[in-house]
Amino acid sequence: MSDMTDYKAESPAREAWRMFRRNVPALAGVLILGIIVLLTLYGQFFYAGDAFDVVWAPHEPPGATAEYPLGTDYLGRDIIAGLLTGGGPTLAVGAVAAAITMVIGITLGALAGFYGGWVDNLLMRITEFFQVLPALLFAMVLVTLFSPSLWTIAIAIGVVSWPQTARLTRAEFFKIKELEYVTAARAIGARNKRIIWTVILPNAMPPLIVSATLTIGVAILFEAGLSFLGLGDPNVMSWGLMIGANREYILDAWWPVTFPGLAIFFTVFAVSLIGDGLNDAFNPKLRER
Amino acid sequence: MTALLDINDLRVTFNTRYGEVTALDSVSLNVNAGETLGVVGESGCGKSITALATMGLIPSPPGRIAGGSIKLAGEELTGASDARLRALRGADIAMIFQEPMTSLNPVFTVGDQIAEAIMLHQKVSAAQAFKDAIALLDRVGIPSPAERARDYPHQLSGGMRQRVMIAMAVSCRPKVLIADEPTTALDVTVQAQIFDLLNEIQREFGAAIILITHDMGAISEMADRVAVMYAGRVIEQARADDVLDAPQHPYARGLIDCIPALGKGETELREIPGVVPPLHLLGAGCAFADRCAHKFARCESEKPLLADHGHHPAACHAVEEGRI
Repeated sequence: MSDMTDYKAESPAREAWRMFRRNVPALAGVLILGIIVLLTLYGQFFYAGDAFDVVWAPHEPPGATAEYPLGTDYLGRDIIAGLLTGGGPTLAVGAVAAAITMVIGITLGALAGFYGGWVDNLLMRITEFFQVLPALLFAMVLVTLFSPSLWTIAIAIGVVSWPQTARLTRAEFFKIKELEYVTAARAIGARNKRIIWTVILPNAMPPLIVSATLTIGVAILFEAGLSFLGLGDPNVMSWGLMIGANREYILDAWWPVTFPGLAIFFTVFAVSLIGDGLNDAFNPKLRER
Repeated sequence: MTALLDINDLRVTFNTRYGEVTALDSVSLNVNAGETLGVVGESGCGKSITALATMGLIPSPPGRIAGGSIKLAGEELTGASDARLRALRGADIAMIFQEPMTSLNPVFTVGDQIAEAIMLHQKVSAAQAFKDAIALLDRVGIPSPAERARDYPHQLSGGMRQRVMIAMAVSCRPKVLIADEPTTALDVTVQAQIFDLLNEIQREFGAAIILITHDMGAISEMADRVAVMYAGRVIEQARADDVLDAPQHPYARGLIDCIPALGKGETELREIPGVVPPLHLLGAGCAFADRCAHKFARCESEKPLLADHGHHPAACHAVEEGRI
């Protein structure tokens, strides 16, 4: 009998956290991302140096001098300093872009899925309009139009990547709004606003949280791509900018592009591991397949 | 005196790919305070649509109320504004759903959900609403209500969840309580407890109950009066005892014959042959004609109307002409 056992109430979120804690790859992802974040936040306190300063001869290979273990780039700038200062902007742009993506995507998807009819038609046509534009080209146009800065880059990435989130949210809303507890919420006199944001959205969150995590990874790659094409903010060091600036000399010196490339790789890899872990945690049934 | 809830000549239509179909056709029902009206019929007869129409919850589009009136304590609901209906829902009319498993929101504790229902209609603090929720859980017979209020729906059994639904439904002391097959998903023993609880609640709050069910046993236990529905129409309406003892319409007879009796030595379950016809295939005649053993020419051409043919109101030509 349920009233005889003394168990602790466990919310769905807490249950998901319990599942997540047992997921070794996901924990590895948290560990990797944690190290990267700590390094970009506090690395400069232990390893002083300005990423833009020319400190040594250009193209010094890694390990050649004790002072600059990872070598220097084509201007003689320290690669480690670049990695440490460039991480912050890269991660920040990724996070902000993902947040913008989620806000636009969830809002439009929720309204379309909940109201259906002409609201849905209108919003989905707008979504399709954004979907058929080549994302990278569109983002490039936006960044060029509004002069490259971290904010415009983040906004541009957000503006081109929300359609997927909108579609996912809409699909979840379509599914959930037919469920009986939504009718039950209406039957106690709840208004639409309340039903959308406090009844349906919390139940639609699991796939959206997963998608948000993965969006961070995509946004980081996007920022790197824009910087690589020379559309990054030239005044702020970022991993993408390092790769972009050094790409012409890749045949002479492999290290100035490889190390920031690895940094991006590990960050996106860690974020993906976390996203997959969250996915498994929210859908325990899928995991057993 | 007019009844507390008075549904008169209600017509509800739905736009489907077969064109407009009539889901409810001249349905008239009424129920008084403290009274229980049973609404019976097979799946697809329009019972749940009647309930949703009364709550103002017909999904629109595709559905709409095409005619008739629904009056709650004299107030017309069919043309009422959304805001007015919202204020009435949960406060004056409340509903208990069929599936206690799926009618509670899985991501909130049951206490929070009851408290939310209270706060939608009463100006009380969140803390007070939660206290009231615990008191309600206690009232509907949930042991250690303070702990259970912090449980999530999936941690409770089906019977407990239905008790939670009842607590939520009666949280604002509604005048009319619609119970849409409240026990279909539950064990027989739990069913009896839920019916007892509904009876107690009715005595205490004086609410009118509309009990929608296909279980004649539930009707005999709970209902004062019965309306039998078939294909969107009320085909027989009378005091529960009259319908149970002397059903008039062949469909009502069939439903009552279907109740298996213990100790009569019957070896086979009886049934009514066929199924409820799809609404878009309803013809000019009696909707039950194709399944009826007493069918004659008039049944194919003319819709029978609900009228008293000697015993109590039934909508059947064969009864009218004394053939059965």
